Amino acid sequence: MNLRAIIQKIRSNFNHHEELLNQTVLGFLRVLESVREEEVPCDEVYTKIDEYVEREVDKKDAAKLMPLVREHLDLCPECCEEYEDLLDILEKTSKDQK
Amino acid sequence: MPTRTNEAWISDLGTPGPAREAALEDLRVIIQKGLPYALSRWLSPDQPQFNSLVEEVTQETLLRVLDQLGTFEGRSQFTTWVHKIAVRIALTELRRKRWRDSSLDELTENEDLPPPPGLLADSQASPETSAERADMLARVRRIIEEELTDRQRQALILLGVQDMPMEDAARKLKTNRNALYKLLHDARLRLKRRLSAEDISPNEVLTLFEHK
Repeated sequence: MNLRAIIQKIRSNFNHHEELLNQTVLGFLRVLESVREEEVPCDEVYTKIDEYVEREVDKKDAAKLMPLVREHLDLCPECCEEYEDLLDILEKTSKDQK
Repeated sequence: MPTRTNEAWISDLGTPGPAREAALEDLRVIIQKGLPYALSRWLSPDQPQFNSLVEEVTQETLLRVLDQLGTFEGRSQFTTWVHKIAVRIALTELRRKRWRDSSLDELTENEDLPPPPGLLADSQASPETSAERADMLARVRRIIEEELTDRQRQALILLGVQDMPMEDAARKLKTNRNALYKLLHDARLRLKRRLSAEDISPNEVLTLFEHK
């Protein structure tokens, strides 16, 4: 790719990135049904996520006991990834111990 | 390895000396037993960087545990709290790397590929459905334009279009992940209320795009 082509590519990428894509608009709509007035921020979920995951591993119906944490996990992909990884660690290490 | 209560962990780690050294060594083993389960969702254990990442994350986790020892509230097992810190450190690094790599790929590898087909360019949809979809998207876009602040829109572009990790998007917007989540939450609430006022159901819009 010559220099001109690279510059064009960067320009077109830049313009493309300034626009909300149709996919993004629909993705935004997809989570609206789950949005509630009351919410907890990422920091609060991070503070509680170890307790939440332990309850889940112990089959103590974590989502019922801590519904706001569950709702946040449904809306925030990054907190949800951290939750899933922590759950994986606890489930598999406790299996190793048995 | 001795089994410690939460109190014993705090006590052993709280003061420099042989008890702390022993506790740190035990924690290292515990972290390195659990972390590969989380990392293997992102990287293959055969990849050369896998072991070095486990080592780096373990080191950083031990430092952070000592630094944040006073913030442990005893809501969970101490070791679960430590795993949580390790996961946060590992994922922050992996997300940054994933985003850097995908941004680079976009500029280099895909240069000859045609742009991805838009949602409206669905060859199987009838002309009526296509028109209906275009009309609905235009309405929703207008509402987003009117309801969202520039900052909310900017956040949506960084996260939803550029796929930037939350931590990096927050830094770019000179805020933190918490405030960024709040910004998005407010945006969602505003949009939800406005759609409801205009009698548009998000599910109906989505259904329109699912059926031909």
